[in-house]
Amino acid sequence: MTAIHLHVNGAAIADDVPPRLSLADFLRERRNLTGTHLGCEHGVCGACTVFVDGEPARSCLMLAVACDERMVETIEGFADDPVIAALRRTFHQRHALQCGYCTPAMLITARDLILRKRAGSEREIRDGLAGNICRCTGYTNIVTAIAEAAKEIGKEAPNAQ
Amino acid sequence: MPNDQYGVGASLLRKEDDRHLHGRGQFVADIKLPGTMEVAFVRSPHAHARIRSISVPPEVRGRVFTAADLPRIRPIRITVQAAGAKAPAWPPLATEKARYVGEAIAACIAGSRGEAEDLANAVTVDFEVLDAVVDAPREMHGSRHLIHEQWGDNLYVERVVEGGDIDAAARAAEVTVTRQFRMQRQSGAPLEGRAVLACRDHRLDEVVVYASTQTPHTLRVALGEFLDIEARRIRVVAPDVGGGFGPKARLYPEEIILAALALQLDHPVRWVEDRGEHLLTAAHTRDHHYKATAYADRQGRILGVDTEIVVDAGAYGLWPQGPYQEAAMAARNLPGPYTIPNYRARHYTVATNKAPLGPYRGVGRPGACFAIERIVDEIARAVGRDPVEVRAENMVRSDQMPFTTVGGMRLDNGDYPRSVRLCAELLNLPGIRARQQKGEPDGRLVGIGFAAFAEQTAHGAAEFVARGAAIIPGFESCTARILPDGSVVLMVGIQSHGQGLETTLSQIAAHELGIDPSRISVRHGDTESTAFGFGTFASRSMVMSGGAVARASRVLRDKLCRIGAHLLQCDPAQVRCTEGAVLGPQGSVSIAEIAQVAHLRMDGLPPGVDPLLDATATYEPAIGTGVFSYATHGAVVAVDPETGFIDLLDFAVAEDCGTMVNPMIVEGQIRGGVVQGIGTALYEEIPYDEAGQPLAGTLADYLLPGAAELPAIKIGHLHTPAAATEYGMKGMGEGGAVAPPAAIANAVRDALAALGAEVNETPITPRRVLAAIRKAREAVAQA
Amino acid sequence: MKAPPVDYVRPRSLTEAVGLLAHASVEARVIAGGQSLVGMMNLRVAAPGLLIDIARLPELLTVADHADAVTLGACVTHAAIEDGRVADPSHGLMPRVASTLAYRAIRTRGTIGGSLALSDPAAEWPAVLAALDAEVVLSGSSGRRLLKCTEFTTGIFQTKLAQNEIIESVRVPKLSAGARCGYVKLCRKSGEFANALAVVVADPRRGYSRVVAGAANGAPLVLGDASHLVAEGPHDPDTLRGTIGRDLDRASDRHFDEFQRNLHTAAAMRAVQQALL
Repeated sequence: MTAIHLHVNGAAIADDVPPRLSLADFLRERRNLTGTHLGCEHGVCGACTVFVDGEPARSCLMLAVACDERMVETIEGFADDPVIAALRRTFHQRHALQCGYCTPAMLITARDLILRKRAGSEREIRDGLAGNICRCTGYTNIVTAIAEAAKEIGKEAPNAQ
Repeated sequence: MPNDQYGVGASLLRKEDDRHLHGRGQFVADIKLPGTMEVAFVRSPHAHARIRSISVPPEVRGRVFTAADLPRIRPIRITVQAAGAKAPAWPPLATEKARYVGEAIAACIAGSRGEAEDLANAVTVDFEVLDAVVDAPREMHGSRHLIHEQWGDNLYVERVVEGGDIDAAARAAEVTVTRQFRMQRQSGAPLEGRAVLACRDHRLDEVVVYASTQTPHTLRVALGEFLDIEARRIRVVAPDVGGGFGPKARLYPEEIILAALALQLDHPVRWVEDRGEHLLTAAHTRDHHYKATAYADRQGRILGVDTEIVVDAGAYGLWPQGPYQEAAMAARNLPGPYTIPNYRARHYTVATNKAPLGPYRGVGRPGACFAIERIVDEIARAVGRDPVEVRAENMVRSDQMPFTTVGGMRLDNGDYPRSVRLCAELLNLPGIRARQQKGEPDGRLVGIGFAAFAEQTAHGAAEFVARGAAIIPGFESCTARILPDGSVVLMVGIQSHGQGLETTLSQIAAHELGIDPSRISVRHGDTESTAFGFGTFASRSMVMSGGAVARASRVLRDKLCRIGAHLLQCDPAQVRCTEGAVLGPQGSVSIAEIAQVAHLRMDGLPPGVDPLLDATATYEPAIGTGVFSYATHGAVVAVDPETGFIDLLDFAVAEDCGTMVNPMIVEGQIRGGVVQGIGTALYEEIPYDEAGQPLAGTLADYLLPGAAELPAIKIGHLHTPAAATEYGMKGMGEGGAVAPPAAIANAVRDALAALGAEVNETPITPRRVLAAIRKAREAVAQA
Repeated sequence: MKAPPVDYVRPRSLTEAVGLLAHASVEARVIAGGQSLVGMMNLRVAAPGLLIDIARLPELLTVADHADAVTLGACVTHAAIEDGRVADPSHGLMPRVASTLAYRAIRTRGTIGGSLALSDPAAEWPAVLAALDAEVVLSGSSGRRLLKCTEFTTGIFQTKLAQNEIIESVRVPKLSAGARCGYVKLCRKSGEFANALAVVVADPRRGYSRVVAGAANGAPLVLGDASHLVAEGPHDPDTLRGTIGRDLDRASDRHFDEFQRNLHTAAAMRAVQQALL
């Protein structure tokens, strides 16, 4: 067992974990943050995507021990985040989810695209979603929802183009 | 009175969204029970082998369970209805023989999944490896290696579907087209894999089984049968389910084993499958082989089709229905939406050393559609006419309906040729032709292709009996209950795993009761709180469950009106339910008040009316042979003739599913199905080597289409309400997946027309495209 | 699947890391981004006894912008290169390549050093670094050494990295003004490993040109004749195709089937055309 200290959704966490424990399993089983889902555990499907130190990462391919002194944000965070709030609104309005299994990771990835200004066109959004598989929706509505949220956020930003 | 904002026809936003958008969904793996131990399986690495012995190290005995350690488990048996059909007994944990790579041999239990896997690796099995049966078409003519020794061959069943006189059609033919078609083996691949959490509830003397399943009630039936427990001592709960698509509508050995472990060990046990296990052992799908000859006149009018269909069904049949319906459906649906008068389809369901085959969105229809729609295009080319025209001319016209096809499908109503023309419009067919004339600056070849189908939905008892089904899912149920405060609960036997039934079923109740859907809860998935129903599959839920909701709601509506009229001191004929109240000629009384009377103030009830507002109803449509939605799909592709790579430029669906309860959800189902069909068409495949080893073990090999590979899916609607269902609804959930392989193959054919190359196998990979181009060039060189 | 049991240590310096690697009593592997290694452990095809976490070692994160080359620390991530957050010696080639590598969430953690150390035959960086004539700096208990990237990768998952060595950095010569590049990655699904890769660098001012094929059933394959042809300038497609064909035929140990040969030819042709148009 290895001691780790990290931040999860803004809270300082101390724990002792086996080195082989993935960040995903740490979040799901030891912190009871089950909004992050597992679909493959080899980094392809994207359902496990969370933010680590402000960048999207595959929690199935990160070891919890390697997250010592890092900041992790999951779908259960973002309570006051305007980008996630906008995405939740547009995903709902545009029917961008069906079974819901890919949804938390879609929101996380979409937030990153919007913050990095990579959600300006349909092509850009589709390329940005390459690492998030959805088996239910066919993606059309997800792309529309992200484009709308991006526009909304773009208008609200002080240096909107 | 129906409310445009939230009744039938409204694109009401979904009630299920909130929890998922906040990561508060509750899938099986999210449920935490104290003391839960994790399960990993020892699985066969061989496709076909005798098990000589299983060695469990002494220090881990007590944590490893073979069949001998779980004596209450009975082998899974399918009740076969059709004469001559064979069904193997399937022990959930293999004892004598392993018949596919991945077949479970022992269950290992530990505090974490990783430790359970460590245990599994410590177990050694002594195998005598046997030759594997891998090639289904070869096996149907006599087998050298028997998978189930007592059978004498490797054939589950063979049948013929015939109509008219196929030999006469052959003699009369002016054009003959012969082809072979192949749809490779696939996985259903929902994003959430299978999962089971089982525990004992001592207070209720039950075993509780949480399962990621589409069919909780029938799972309870199976558990009772194969564990020898009374149903009243089993509870099955399907919580949130992350996609099903068919593979989760069948019984799995793991479900029985987990329940047996919970009963024996008296602590919760959990199995959450990983992606490798899913690709290996969850129901495989598709895997059809076709040989077909079509006869036509020189106008392209199809006189007859003669076909041989082989389905590779794997080593066992999945309970309850077994593997029989796949080939039978393909045979009965191959004539499609056409007036073909003469037909013969010999179909063979073959056992091989592969994981069992199960239903997946469309079931036998994508294969059948692939065959017939490619044939239609080849006939059109043979007679020198546009495939769009030839397709439309062969279709059953609306004035000919109801029309029973030569495959036995009773097409109820619809304007099939119009769907072809609408699809062509959506894709701007003349524009594509102009673009093709001009040519692409980068040398790629653009093509456009179409495919049409009719989808039998909400079929009832008569249809399933005709298929020889072991159980008859010919009805659905609903218990509708108004609680003392006037809020409503609908308890239904289907299971919503993405289809939005928590929203759409509440729309129907809202429509009947005049109550806002936000005051209506839909409960599904739990055998504890819902009347028996069959679950969600076969595009049945909206019609069947919606029908049951409508009927139960009307019973409540009538009782509300009786009580309301009594409270309003008028005649029941003078009142109606609207906007949360019963409205009479001189006033209204709220449903909440009526509910209070029915529960807390029974002194206010009219004479002869009992307390409570509770109604259970079942429903089956007036027509047992199903109501048919239909569509034409169209695809525009760009093919790179140097590399074989295909770009999907555009895709459109022109469809008709009658009355749409929620058009937004209907379109979501279409798009989702289409993308799965595109997966079949271009990406998804589990190849096998000669030893029966599957060669796609991760998502790096088993490719699932992502947003970057896809265009936006265009949709156009026609509206021909069904005559035999509530509100004129038709089922439609599967249709999206049926036609894309055919449409895309026809588009590739069109793109490569100048080269004369065709690809008649899915997925249409670059390798297959280049091989087809080379073959066409060689044929030209030889000519 | 879950990873097998393993021990873990996070050294605070490169020297400490090298020492841990040298003295490990079990199979020890360094872990940087872990995007390949943890994936392999999750599939139980890798089962090291000890993981030595080097992802945050300052020595492996430095970027040095010299007059004629840029040195990138081994743990610089693909995302940092993609975003242009580190000096770019390649006139945009490296950021462009980085953007096609797997998916963003992988790129935020995966490192250029990790990619080179694994040398997956279908990976991008080994082929690109070979095309740019880059060098790799290796640190071990016996000190430091420099190798050309073209010599470093020797086969499928095979490199000259010794058991006790860690990749410290890659040194990439700067392209001159007027240098041109071409890059083609052929794959069906965005982000998957390449079915065929071609990288072309034409830098006449330095008298340098190179054509490299990746996903070539082995180490990145330098197409020698094609490289000379590129130095001469544009040629007609038939000549180019024939030259590439000769280069591919010469690599008979790669056992290309007809389909692979077609792909590599098309990729190389298109990459050359990008560079020379």
